[in-house]
Amino acid sequence: MVCKDRLMRRIKIDRDPHEAGRTKKEMVAVAGPLEQFEIKPYAELEVAGFDVSFTNSSLWMVIVVTALTFFLVGGIRKNALVPGRWQASVEMAYEFIANMVKENVGREGKQYFPFIFTLFMFILGSNLAGMIPYSFTTTSHIIVTFALAAVVFIGVTLIGFAKHGLGFLKLFAPSGVPAPLYILIVPIEVMSYFTRPISLSVRLFANMLAGHIMMKVFAGFIISLGAIGIAGQAAAVLPFAFNIFLTGLEILVAFLQAYVFAILSCIYLHDAMHPAH
Amino acid sequence: MGIDLVAGVGVGLIIGINLDGWLDTSPGFLITFLFLGFAAGIRNVIREANKMQREAEDGLQGQADEADKD
Repeated sequence: MVCKDRLMRRIKIDRDPHEAGRTKKEMVAVAGPLEQFEIKPYAELEVAGFDVSFTNSSLWMVIVVTALTFFLVGGIRKNALVPGRWQASVEMAYEFIANMVKENVGREGKQYFPFIFTLFMFILGSNLAGMIPYSFTTTSHIIVTFALAAVVFIGVTLIGFAKHGLGFLKLFAPSGVPAPLYILIVPIEVMSYFTRPISLSVRLFANMLAGHIMMKVFAGFIISLGAIGIAGQAAAVLPFAFNIFLTGLEILVAFLQAYVFAILSCIYLHDAMHPAH
Repeated sequence: MGIDLVAGVGVGLIIGINLDGWLDTSPGFLITFLFLGFAAGIRNVIREANKMQREAEDGLQGQADEADKD
């Protein structure tokens, strides 16, 4: 119902008499950089009072998961001894994460490899899917990244308690500290532990959001300058060149942020396995 | 790294406000937990900086080892 109300409001704004006088060109020029993040419900659903509509965000998650499944299953279908290009890229992704888990969690971390690999591939896929024009970046919404970070946080905490019992609490009391200082150190360490899901989710979300806003702003400059005249069209080359640069940078950020998310999850897992350090 | 610092203060703020709302002690817990949160943020940054320095030193050590081999 909330979504329907929002839709009605949008229609009302569209029919606003002040807007009606504008030409189409002007409307394009004022397209805001935040419109790309708007959630549009395609099929409205409600379960137990919660709005669980199938939105453009859900659609792009389904597309990403389908594409990743196709990429991974298709790549290993032939299972050749000498891998082709497709199989080599799948193996490269596998080995990259396998090495990351081995180096940062240790040998006993092998059992958590499927989780880290899924996490990495999903974030990387979502980030890269966001680079396709007219698509939607699911990772540019804090609720999506926070859900991912919360799964890591709760999972790591449960693993820590399952492996070490109450010994996991040693994580909050570093060794080599004078006894009276524990009154101060333990609360600080506990708080520091709770900042993990927040910094993990905000880092990914803020990078994707800022990058996509910046690209839209510079794309807006091209259109605004193009509307001025010949001189403006000549000057529009500058934001256009910068946007090409930004596109490359955003693809780098897409890989980098997926990597950072995965490696931090590995480090948190390592802490859960060896709390005494 | 900057996010780690802000996240500490943010967590302190959330815990402080909720404890105050629950126990009706405004603003006692808010002030306490803001300071604790700030300390936790600084702790995060120090840990991160230590890790970066260790990695940088490892890198230098690795280069020195390779130089020795030659």
